[in-house]
Amino acid sequence: MVDTKIVIPGDVVNTSLGSDGGSESADGNSSVLRLGPGLAQIGEQVSAVASGVLHNNTDNNQWWVVGNKRRYVPSEGEPVVGVVVARHGEGYRVDIGSAHDALLPLLAFEGATRRNKPNLAIGTVVYGRVVVANSVMDPELECYNSHTGKSEGYGELSSGFMFKCSLGLARRLMDSKAPVLNALGSEIPFETAIGLNGRVWVNTEASATTVLVTNAIKNSEFLSANQCKQMVKELLEKQ
Amino acid sequence: MRPDRREDDQVRALHSVVGVLNRVDGSAQFSAGRTSVYSGVYGPVDVRVYDEKLDRTHVEVKYRADTGAAGTKDRWAESAIRQTFERIVMAQMHPRTMVQINVQVRENDGSVDAVAINAVALALIDAAVPLRDTVAAASCAVRGDGSTVVDPTLEEIEDARSVHTFAFASSDLAANLDASTTHPVYVDSRGEFSVDEYDRCYELCARAAQRVLAFMRTAIEDKAAKESQISSSK
Repeated sequence: MVDTKIVIPGDVVNTSLGSDGGSESADGNSSVLRLGPGLAQIGEQVSAVASGVLHNNTDNNQWWVVGNKRRYVPSEGEPVVGVVVARHGEGYRVDIGSAHDALLPLLAFEGATRRNKPNLAIGTVVYGRVVVANSVMDPELECYNSHTGKSEGYGELSSGFMFKCSLGLARRLMDSKAPVLNALGSEIPFETAIGLNGRVWVNTEASATTVLVTNAIKNSEFLSANQCKQMVKELLEKQ
Repeated sequence: MRPDRREDDQVRALHSVVGVLNRVDGSAQFSAGRTSVYSGVYGPVDVRVYDEKLDRTHVEVKYRADTGAAGTKDRWAESAIRQTFERIVMAQMHPRTMVQINVQVRENDGSVDAVAINAVALALIDAAVPLRDTVAAASCAVRGDGSTVVDPTLEEIEDARSVHTFAFASSDLAANLDASTTHPVYVDSRGEFSVDEYDRCYELCARAAQRVLAFMRTAIEDKAAKESQISSSK
């Protein structure tokens, strides 16, 4: 993944470069080509269908394109921040920014039973995990880990403030070493929930601090790690 | 001699800003000389039940000219752009949704159809709507003496015998095929013209489209590099 090749839609990708002679003798996986986001097989060729940096993993012959975007398309397993917009008999309708609102069953919470159901008001911000996501069904969420039964951070997010950002920034913020979050964390106590749907929830002790944290995160999108630290320092000094 | 002293096969100065608008999913401003068009794209988003298609996304275009009340010309432009991009957008990937393309002409000094198509292509790429190809368009006018000039201005169009607009898919242009084997994704011809004049315009526009595509590629690469922070060290 050393060379940074940028592709635009319609570019033909030569995937035979990915597997070198060494992988043929190992498992039979070298004959299987895995296409991730941004690539599709059109006719006999592999073409880029999105613009961005082309990546490939030579170990399992996996290829994909990394590009930024703002509109979320749900994908299974991703954590998302959403807003409750309706309540039906069996669950809630949650706006996660995708084309269709997501379904959140009433029992998909820690400790929920038929007798003890959660009672979320419309407008509540929730942190959930996408359980079902495909092109033909409405997406579905759960607000707990269905294997352990524990919430593990998912569920209602009370007080605080939610704002939108690009999907690329959200993805970078999920990294525990994200420069802006670490720079802020060393000076300000705050809690945050990052949704891969481009929504971030922030909660601090005072509104002014929440605004500062929000601005710092939004500003950090195109800054390097050092620039992030400098930007956070300047914001704190101005306070 | 052309009014602005350009060569017959010379396109005007191109300028673009990808991601110019910040409240849409994708946007671009594209200009050739003084002709300038904005495009903003939403998608895939929710769709009206009337337009909902069970197996594909619905492509909708809203076009507004720079001046004048909205009328049939705008509906024609919407239909032309929609038919072009309906085949380019990978519609099967997002059934029961809509991709809405908005076009606003900022200034029209000729070749506005081609500039609009280029702006829409960049906006769709900015929105990361899955596309089979990047599309590049160019226009050409046939003058009274039978000579053909590319990227005509409004003045040149008014004096022309016929005007032709062609758009090509990047995969066709990239294969280095000559114009006789490249297939356009959009063709619009108006006026009186011979087959020979049409062929010459085709050739001229295919070559101009290659240059427009190279320009668009640079614009997209610059934005992609900035977003992935290739240049700055982490």
